[in-house]
Amino acid sequence: MYTEQELIAALRRRDPDAFTFLFDSYSDKVYRLAAGLLEDDMAAEGVVQESFIRLFERLDQFEGRSKLSTWLYRVAYNAAIDRLRKRRPTLSLDIGDDEEMPTPIILADWRDVPERLLTKAEVRAELDKAIAALPEKYRGIFILREIEGVSTQETAVITGLSISAAKVRLHRARLFLRERLSESLMQYV
Amino acid sequence: MTCEELLRYLSDYIDHNLDEALTAAAQEHLSTCHNCRVMLDTTQQTIFLFREQGKRTIPAARRQRLFDQLQDAFLQTKADC
Ligand SMILES: [Zn+2]
Repeated sequence: MYTEQELIAALRRRDPDAFTFLFDSYSDKVYRLAAGLLEDDMAAEGVVQESFIRLFERLDQFEGRSKLSTWLYRVAYNAAIDRLRKRRPTLSLDIGDDEEMPTPIILADWRDVPERLLTKAEVRAELDKAIAALPEKYRGIFILREIEGVSTQETAVITGLSISAAKVRLHRARLFLRERLSESLMQYV
Repeated sequence: MTCEELLRYLSDYIDHNLDEALTAAAQEHLSTCHNCRVMLDTTQQTIFLFREQGKRTIPAARRQRLFDQLQDAFLQTKADC
């Protein structure tokens, strides 16, 4: 185990154990964010590679003003968004201030879907489908906050949004996903 | 509090980001409005499902190769300094 400062120092010395620790601690995190945004495992691996190499190149300048995880997530987020833009030049991550809040349509109560069903592969597949349908401008924020457990403040730094904008997007993401899951999980009640 | 306001504050309510007065108003509304209660419960269930699902990891078949490639890059970047 290393403190973050010790880890950076050991990485600067090119200590192989520090590399192993870095890889084990952060590669899956970065991968999940990229894979969630890109829906492409190979492209997500490319993002992991790019982010780590960028870190190696910047080690001597790395000042530790942000946490290492925040730094890596941010580089990976930007790399993933770049790839999305190449794929789809019309991609927009902006939301208008006056953009209407989606009105909830389905108010069926499915909170009592039996626990044993929730682990079923079909339900897992519904979660994947729901998140794939979530617009990219919300998806990264949702993954960071709810799946990775990153704080609102760090999520804002990673995505380059204000804290209040990050909160609004998380809220919309939750409502969007609730609507999708209401549609697909009702059949299991 | 109206249903529309409740919907707007829902995430802040779930995350305990509302002040005391708004929290009380939300609770009051939730105790009498069935639709908003369902909204709250199903939104919380949605969050729960995503939080609890197993986290995906780099596929084992490719993990070692990625490790090796990055380790090489790690050791090589030193030479450029
Ligand atoms: Zn209501």
